[in-house]
Amino acid sequence: MNLEWTGQEQIAASKGAVWTFINDPQKVASCLPDVQSIDVRDAHNVDATVKVAVGPVRGNFKFNIELIPAASGNHMDLKISGGGFGSVVNLLAGADLSENGTTTTLDWKGSAQVNGPVATVGGRVLDAQAHKVIATTFENVKNAVSQTR
Amino acid sequence: MTTGQLPERHAIGAAMKRKEDPRFIRGKGRYLDDIVLPNMLFLALVHSPYPHAKITKIDKTAALALPGVKAVITGEDLVAAKLGWLPTFHGFDNQMVLAIGKALFQYQEVAGVVATSREIAADGAELVDVQYEPLDPVVDPYQSKLDKIILRDDREQKTNHIYHWQVGEREKTDAALAASDVTIKERILSPRCHPAPLEPCGCVSDMNGATGRLTVYMTSQAPHVHRTAFSLVTGIPEDKIHVISPDVGGGFGNKVPVYPGYVVATVASVILGVPVKWVENRTENLTTTGFARDYHMDVEIGATKAGKVTALKVSTTADHGAFDAAADPRKYPAGMFGIVTGSYDFPTAFAEVDAYFTNKAPGGIAYRCSFRVTEAAYAIERAMDILADKLGLDPVQLRMQNFVKKEQFPYHSPLGFTYDSGDYAATTKKALDIIGYDALLKEQAEKRKRGEFMGIGVSTFTEIVGAGPGKHFDILGIKMFDSAEIRIHPTGSGIVRAGTRHQGQGHETTWAQIVAEELGLDPQELLVEEGDTDTAPYGLGTYASRSTPVAGGALALAARKIREKARKIAAHLLEASEDDVEWKDYKFNLKGVPGKTVTMKEVAFAAYTNPAPDTEPGLEATYYYDPPNLTFPNGTYIAVVDVDKDTGSVKVRRFLAVDDCGVVINPMIVEGQIHGGLTEGFAIAFMQEIKYDSGGNNLNTDFTEYLIPTALETPHWETAGTVTPSPHHPIGAKGVGESPNVGSPQAFVNAVIDALSPLGVTHIDMPLTKEKVWNAIQGAQSKK
Repeated sequence: MNLEWTGQEQIAASKGAVWTFINDPQKVASCLPDVQSIDVRDAHNVDATVKVAVGPVRGNFKFNIELIPAASGNHMDLKISGGGFGSVVNLLAGADLSENGTTTTLDWKGSAQVNGPVATVGGRVLDAQAHKVIATTFENVKNAVSQTR
Repeated sequence: MTTGQLPERHAIGAAMKRKEDPRFIRGKGRYLDDIVLPNMLFLALVHSPYPHAKITKIDKTAALALPGVKAVITGEDLVAAKLGWLPTFHGFDNQMVLAIGKALFQYQEVAGVVATSREIAADGAELVDVQYEPLDPVVDPYQSKLDKIILRDDREQKTNHIYHWQVGEREKTDAALAASDVTIKERILSPRCHPAPLEPCGCVSDMNGATGRLTVYMTSQAPHVHRTAFSLVTGIPEDKIHVISPDVGGGFGNKVPVYPGYVVATVASVILGVPVKWVENRTENLTTTGFARDYHMDVEIGATKAGKVTALKVSTTADHGAFDAAADPRKYPAGMFGIVTGSYDFPTAFAEVDAYFTNKAPGGIAYRCSFRVTEAAYAIERAMDILADKLGLDPVQLRMQNFVKKEQFPYHSPLGFTYDSGDYAATTKKALDIIGYDALLKEQAEKRKRGEFMGIGVSTFTEIVGAGPGKHFDILGIKMFDSAEIRIHPTGSGIVRAGTRHQGQGHETTWAQIVAEELGLDPQELLVEEGDTDTAPYGLGTYASRSTPVAGGALALAARKIREKARKIAAHLLEASEDDVEWKDYKFNLKGVPGKTVTMKEVAFAAYTNPAPDTEPGLEATYYYDPPNLTFPNGTYIAVVDVDKDTGSVKVRRFLAVDDCGVVINPMIVEGQIHGGLTEGFAIAFMQEIKYDSGGNNLNTDFTEYLIPTALETPHWETAGTVTPSPHHPIGAKGVGESPNVGSPQAFVNAVIDALSPLGVTHIDMPLTKEKVWNAIQGAQSKK
C-alpha cells in the first residue's frame, strides 16, 4: 500500500532557527505524536518507540529515523522505517524551507509504503491516520520552534 | 424414476435425527483445541509482512531469551533436518515449509516459536528479528505471464508458467465457432475466496521418545493420506505414526492440504520430546491456508439463430499463488474442469487452463466442490445467460432446448466424461412449477414498465463428484478408493468404520442408515467411527462430495458381504439348505413357508454362540470400493431478486433449489447440507473475495473484511428434489454436499444481471457488492 501526502506550516521563526531545530534528531523525534521513548544513536539517527493504533492493531512500533540534510540548508529528507506486530512501515518525508521576512514556510511532502496487518486491517482508515501522524509531526515542529525562539 | 415409485425402505430415506448432534448442541464435541496433554508446549508462527522479499537475516536471540521460550525453528533448521520442502499433493511442485532465503507471499510462515504458553509463544514470535530486502511483487496473473519477474528461482524452469492443460478438439471447436450464426465471448472471473471453516486448522504433535511413536491429532479431512504423507516426508515408518482427526468444525476442502504448522509442530515435538500444539488464528487461516477458485475464464459459445448451441471454448488463466499447492489428482491438474459443458449437448468443445505463480498464498483447493467444478459450472451457467440475452431468448427456453436428454444417458460429453444419469428437463420443469415462473415473468414485465429492477436467475447445473475411479484419480499416487469395516456384535448392535472423516456431513447417522438398510438392523444401534488411522480402514477421506459415492458404496458392499455369511447361519438356524433361504422384508425367510423367518439379530447371536458348521465364528466384513465411474448430481436453482437502483442493494426475495442427488439417504440431512451450501454460495456471490492490493497486501484477513453471512443477511431457502438413481452406485446415491455451493452463485448473479438487463448490463464479476451493482447502474445510465 503506497500513500502520499503534502502540507505546509508557517513558522514564526527565522529559517536558521528552524534549520537548527530540524537537524537535531532528539528534537525531531520528540515531535512524533504519542512518542514513548527516544534513543539518539548519532548526529543523524534516532530510534523512537511510538504508540500506534490503527483499527484493531494497537501497540508500540519501533522506528529508526534518519535525517538527511541537503547542503543548501533549505531541504531536509527524513527516512522513517520500522514497525511492529508483523507490520512494516517505510516513510519518506521531505521538508523545504523558505524565509518570508519574519516567518519561515515549511513545505512538506511525505510518502509511505505499508505492509502487513496495519495495511490490511487499517485499509480504510490508514491513509487518514498516517496523514494525521505526519501532519501533527510538522505541526509539533512549528509549535516547538516557536516556543524555543 | 421419481420418489413415489421407489420401494419402501427400512432405514434409507428416513429423516432420522443426527446421532452426533446431542454432543454438538450440548458443547460436548471434542475438537482439536480441546486436546490438552501433559507437558504440552505451544507453537506460534512468524509471518512475512512482505509479499516478495529476500530474507537477509533471522536473529533468534531476543526470542530465545524470553522466559518460557523453548525453541525457535527457521527454514534453515528444517533444511538441515531435510524437511525444508514438502511435495504438493499431485507431486508437480514443492512447497517451502518455512521461508528459505525468500518470502513469496504476504503472511508466509518464516519461523516458529515454541513456548510454555500460547501467549509466550506469540510474544516470542514478535521478538524474532527478521531482516528483509523487499522485492517487487507480482499479484496479477496476467503480469505474471509476462515473466518479467521470475518468482520461483528455486525451480529449474525459469518461468512463472506452471502448466498448460487442455481437453477437447481445438481446431474443430474454432471452426464450429467461426461457422456459427451467433457467438458470445466474455471474460468471467471466479474470484479468489476462502472456505473459512469456523474452526481453523491445528494439530497436537506428540512424539513419544520411549515408544518411538508419533501421534498427531489434527484437523484433517483425510487422516490416512496425512499419515502416509507424514511418513513419506519424515521417513518415520508408517506403523509408527498415528493420526487422529477429532471432531472437525467444518472443512470445505481447507483441511485437506498439509500446512507448515503441522510440520513445524511435529519437528518441535521430536526435538523437545514433549507434545506441541499449534492452532491457527483467523487471520492465519484466511491468509496462509488453502484459498479457492481464482480462475479467469474466457468463455466463447457458438449457436444457431434458433438457439441451438454449436460449440464451446473456454481458455482459463489460473492464479495459483506462490506454490502449485492445488489439491488436484495427477492426471487432472485442472481437476474436473472438463465438466464445463454442463448440462448441455455441445457437438464440440475445447477447454484449456494455464496456471501461473503469483506472490499470493498458495492453494486452489476444492472449496465444497470437486476439483474446479464450481468454476466450470459458474462459467457455463453465466455464459448461457449471456447467450440467451444476445439471442433474445428466455434463458430457461435456451437451456431446455439444449439439455442433454434423458434418453441420451449414459452421455459421453465432448470433454471426455460419461454422465451417469439425469432428467434435466423434468427437474427444471418441477422448479418452474414450484416457483411459478410464468407469473414471475408477468410480474417482472409490469415492474419494468414502472422502471423497477426485478431479476430472475436460473442455474441448471451438472456436478461431477465421487472421485473416483482409481484408474483416473489419485492423491500422492494412492488410488481414490474408499473403505468400510463393519462388525456386528452378538446382540445385534455393531460398529461401523470408514476411511472417510466427516466435518458436519452427518456420517455418524447416514452410514448407520446404509448399513441398517442392508442388514435390517436398527441404525440407532450402529456406532459409526471415523478419523483414527489405528482403527479405521484405509481411505482417502471426505471432500469433493466423495463420501457417499465412494465410502457409501463400500459400506453397502461390506454389509452385503455380511449378509452372504448371515445367510449360511440363517440356513443353519432354519435347518434348511442355503438355497431355500431368501432375504426379503429385511429378514431371512424360508422359501414357501410363511412365518418361518430369522432376523439379523438372531443371526448375529448365533454367529457367536451357535455358528453354522464350516463357517468362521463372528460377523464382520471389510470392503474397499473403487467406483466404476463418477456420479453426476444436478439441479435447477432459481433466484428472484429486487435491486434498489438508488443504492445498488440486492434483496433475494426467493430462492428455490431443486436437487437431483440420486437416492436420498436422509432427507433432513440433505436439506441441511443444501441450506449450508446455499448460504456459502450466497456469500460468494455477494460478499466474499480475498483481494490483494497492488503491493501484495492481503486485504481480507479477518471477519471484519471477509464477511460471513449471519441469519440476518441469509435469504429463506426453498428446497425440493427429484430422484434419478445413479445406475452404477450400489445404493443409487450420487452425493449432495457440494451441489448447493456449485450450483448457486450463478443463479444469484444471473438474477442480478437479469434485473439490470434493461440498462444493457450483461456481466458483473462477483462478489456483487452494493458498490459494484451501484457502479454498474450508474455506468449504464451515464452511457444512455
